[in-house]
Amino acid sequence: MASSSGNDDDLTIPRAAINKMIKETLPNVRVANDARELVVNCCTEFIHLISSEANEICNKSEKKTISPEHVINALESLGFGSYIAEVKDVLQECKTVALKRRKASSRLENLGIPEEELLRQQQELFAKARQQQAELAQQEWLQMQQAAQQAQLEAASASAAQQAGSSQDEDEEDDM
Amino acid sequence: MSGDNVGGKGTPNNKNVSLPMSRVKLIMKSSPDVSNINQEALFLTTKATELFVQHLALSSYKNGSGKDKNTLSYSDLANVAEGMENFQFLTDILPKKILARDYLKSLEERQEEDDL
Repeated sequence: MASSSGNDDDLTIPRAAINKMIKETLPNVRVANDARELVVNCCTEFIHLISSEANEICNKSEKKTISPEHVINALESLGFGSYIAEVKDVLQECKTVALKRRKASSRLENLGIPEEELLRQQQELFAKARQQQAELAQQEWLQMQQAAQQAQLEAASASAAQQAGSSQDEDEEDDM
Repeated sequence: MSGDNVGGKGTPNNKNVSLPMSRVKLIMKSSPDVSNINQEALFLTTKATELFVQHLALSSYKNGSGKDKNTLSYSDLANVAEGMENFQFLTDILPKKILARDYLKSLEERQEEDDL
């Protein structure tokens, strides 16, 4: 597989990531191993191509850091203008998601309730819930007990009645 | 591959790309003279590279001239590199991996040509 040496110039994208992308793009296609290796290297080559071009554009603009604009212009000038719309879209999506997340969290903060208070309220609610649970459990227990007692009584009277019946028989015998 | 999980406001994170941005950054920096890269620029480059992989795979597959229609072979890729203007830059690395210094040399030469 790829570089085991510490040499900077052997850097490539991890094979697994490439394999995954190929699989997603060409789902039922078998890809020869040397073709995969080639794709990995093409990736590196592409990155070098874009960064060199973007860097040149950056230098000309007298800025020190390569900006998104520079990358976009590089793509254009290298004939990859068709990629621009989509990469821009995804970038925008990212920003929108991040923006929403920030808004949502600040909305929560803006309720005006400090975190400690929220925490306290939460604990209160939990305690209340626990209590209700306990009461409910106790009720059920009582009901079960009552039902058990009832059952016992019925069983007792049933056997008592049976005994009474048999002793009556004995009496009758005596009278004869 | 958690790489650059940026905490900055509104800057992109790893959830929208399949390729590790940290690795892309390393590769970019190993290019001659490349200085600093803005985080968004890095994101765009990574995303563009992904599109490139897809584009390359699809084009090669469509152009496939091999007997086996359902295989992507080395030669499919090589052919598309020759055939498409955009992919000409790939002909340098076919059929074998070239040494970095040779690449740098050819890049210099190409730049000199451009300057003329």
